[in-house]
Amino acid sequence: MNKLSLRGRSTPANGVLWTTLIAAALALTACGKKEEPPKPAAPPAPAAAPAPAAAPAVAKSAAQVAVDAAKPLCQGGKTITIVWEAGLQSLDPKNFSGPLWEKETGCKVSVIEVPTAEMFTKIMQEFRAGTGAYDALNVIPAWMPDLAQAGALEPLDALVDKYGYRDELKTIAATYRDNQMTVGGKIYGFPDDGDVFLMYYRKDLFAREDLQKAYKEKHNADLAPPKTWEDFEKIGSFLTEKLKGDGIYGAAMFREPGYGNFMFQERFRNEGGKFFDANMKATINGPEGVKVLKGWLAENKFMPKGVEKFGFVENLAVFLKGESAMTISWPPYGRFAAGYLANEKALDWVPKSQIAGKVGYALPPGGHPELAAGFALSVASTSKNKEAAYLFIQWLNSEEISNQRVQLPYALRDPFRDSHFTNPGYLALWPDAKDYLAALGQAAQTGLLDLSLIQTDKYEEALRQGISKLWAGEDPQKILDKAAADWDAVTQQVGVDKQKPVYEAWAAKSGAYPKK
Amino acid sequence: MPAQAASTRPGARERRFKFALIAPSIFVLLLIGVFPLVYLLVVSFQGITMTSNDMSFQGLRNYALLFQDARLWQSLLHTLAFTAIALPIELLLGLLMAQLFIEHLPGRQIFVALLVLPVVLSPIVAGATWSLMFDNRFGPINQVISWIAGREITLLWTINPTLVYPAILVAEVWQWTPFMFLLLLAALSAVDKSQLEAAAIDGAGYWRTFRRIVLPAIWPVMAVAILIRTLDLFRLFDIVWVLTRGGPGTMTETLSIFTYVKGFQQFETSYTAAVALLIIVGLSVVLILALRRVELSR
Repeated sequence: MNKLSLRGRSTPANGVLWTTLIAAALALTACGKKEEPPKPAAPPAPAAAPAPAAAPAVAKSAAQVAVDAAKPLCQGGKTITIVWEAGLQSLDPKNFSGPLWEKETGCKVSVIEVPTAEMFTKIMQEFRAGTGAYDALNVIPAWMPDLAQAGALEPLDALVDKYGYRDELKTIAATYRDNQMTVGGKIYGFPDDGDVFLMYYRKDLFAREDLQKAYKEKHNADLAPPKTWEDFEKIGSFLTEKLKGDGIYGAAMFREPGYGNFMFQERFRNEGGKFFDANMKATINGPEGVKVLKGWLAENKFMPKGVEKFGFVENLAVFLKGESAMTISWPPYGRFAAGYLANEKALDWVPKSQIAGKVGYALPPGGHPELAAGFALSVASTSKNKEAAYLFIQWLNSEEISNQRVQLPYALRDPFRDSHFTNPGYLALWPDAKDYLAALGQAAQTGLLDLSLIQTDKYEEALRQGISKLWAGEDPQKILDKAAADWDAVTQQVGVDKQKPVYEAWAAKSGAYPKK
Repeated sequence: MPAQAASTRPGARERRFKFALIAPSIFVLLLIGVFPLVYLLVVSFQGITMTSNDMSFQGLRNYALLFQDARLWQSLLHTLAFTAIALPIELLLGLLMAQLFIEHLPGRQIFVALLVLPVVLSPIVAGATWSLMFDNRFGPINQVISWIAGREITLLWTINPTLVYPAILVAEVWQWTPFMFLLLLAALSAVDKSQLEAAAIDGAGYWRTFRRIVLPAIWPVMAVAILIRTLDLFRLFDIVWVLTRGGPGTMTETLSIFTYVKGFQQFETSYTAAVALLIIVGLSVVLILALRRVELSR
């Protein structure tokens, strides 16, 4: 499909894109439907999984320890039931890790696919019902305080020590290890997905001499990936002005409230904002917050029409078709844009990349990207197979197996161990993979955590509602005043005495606020 | 003696046998109907939240909170607004379509079958379909408007506050007008033809005939249709959830969405139980009054 078909709206080819997007939405959110696994019986073997980095030469790897310990537990055909995000994510346990674990131990793996937006609800509902239907869980780290406090997650420290996993936990990249693993000093999950926002830009456009020259004349600066949001606006509007005739906008971005929530949290802190003052009064309605929302409104003017509705798929389609010069998103964008996954059946829905080899990777403006969402592996406290479930997640999360899982072409697990960023097999996956992994590694070091408190969703809901009101035309200051009032009401409801230590513990983490 | 005599009478034995036959059904109905209601009532007086399993008696605390919750009352207003607008439109369109199809037009059965298709769809699917229809980039509605206007028009149907209610109402009316149509078509088919012929011979006009003969004849069915749709609209969730998730802000949040968010996203279990009870009581009152009004309770 050519560029005109998206812009012109009047060609029959739009139907193809429309169909693609329906398929994409189904693939990503899946609404409880099962993804059709291509060939579950034949797990692919990603290239070059290095030897465990931290394990002593004579000791067994954590993966082997888990397998050996699980074998007697799995006798008689035990099944481990694990909750996994629906869609592409769950192809990992369905096509690769599940069949492999069964082959190694005899334990079957049953995957319960749940759309992200419903995962917390399902996990809590099952915990309340206490049926023991789930053994292992994928948990977004920001939910951990809520789930741990409710008692839905099993503390893992004793099992970590029993199966000697502490050393390999140390080789998880520091941001994830130090920030997304514990609640109140106890381990409740193993960080298992290096979700972090990265800026993707068209390096071919940024290198064009005519654009370089024109930008220099206009702004007396080099045309380069922006390091501040002020530069982002200048570059974005400049590129739209110069390239819109060719169907290229300076930038496109997530604007749909669910994604905007993460973008706001990131940018607000990069602008110097703090979520609460010393008395736990919300301060998101300060000048930093208002600046973020006003910035968004100004930037939308040089982005594609209707950008207010852009979520993962819409933004991806525009970027892969070469219609935006910059965007910020999760790591899969980099892999999709590189085009090396083009023959993967499970990714048929991804528009063919027209920008392969033309994409550069950089930290988003401000230099501190959001560690947006991500997943940790946990054990359900109501499981009747806690030990077997634990061994399964230790095995999944181990150096040996995780190095293979993050390279699966169809799954969406992103590098989260130090060794993932230097894995020779990964570095060779496409010509610019080394730049991609270097940028991800850098982002992991400077990344900012999602706000994580008691009843996090209520705080996030206020932000999501605020963002939707912004697109409906409300005044940014009024929106944030209301959001701050909502935050204060939630804090009061939870109890300031109860919430304050949770916030202080979160704020003390290395990824809570940018280091000065 | 008389009692003993009565108990041995064949009629009494037969009655006992009948009661014995329906007793299991009554028991099951009580189990699935009354038990949850009683349990809901009990939970509404407790303090169960996401992080606390406090089952102690909290008095009327949740009910007091409920009356202070502006968002709840706003969601009630939104629900009433959807009901007040959608119901008359569905009724009117359904009646007009039924009037049209009461005539024996060529291909009538095929058209009726096609018209009824939206009712067969799950509301969540209907919502997803309309979400794509209203999509600002790839949706056919904006494309058609752009063709007519001769330039690119980008209408954000599910974001713009002036468009969001019409968008939801279009989807809602599209899906449920055929339901009205079907019931009213059946009712119209049952109107006594001889009365209509007599009215025509007496020179009564269309409106007079409709008001004096047709409307009274179809009124019992129409009243039931109105009642069913009113209750449905009070439960409005799927289409709004898919199209707007209650947004922008909480502008289109209905009672059902509010209850879902509080109960299953934020796990305010006891508070949500109080809200649910309020809705049940409110709807029961409306239902009883309506049934009396249409004299169907007899």
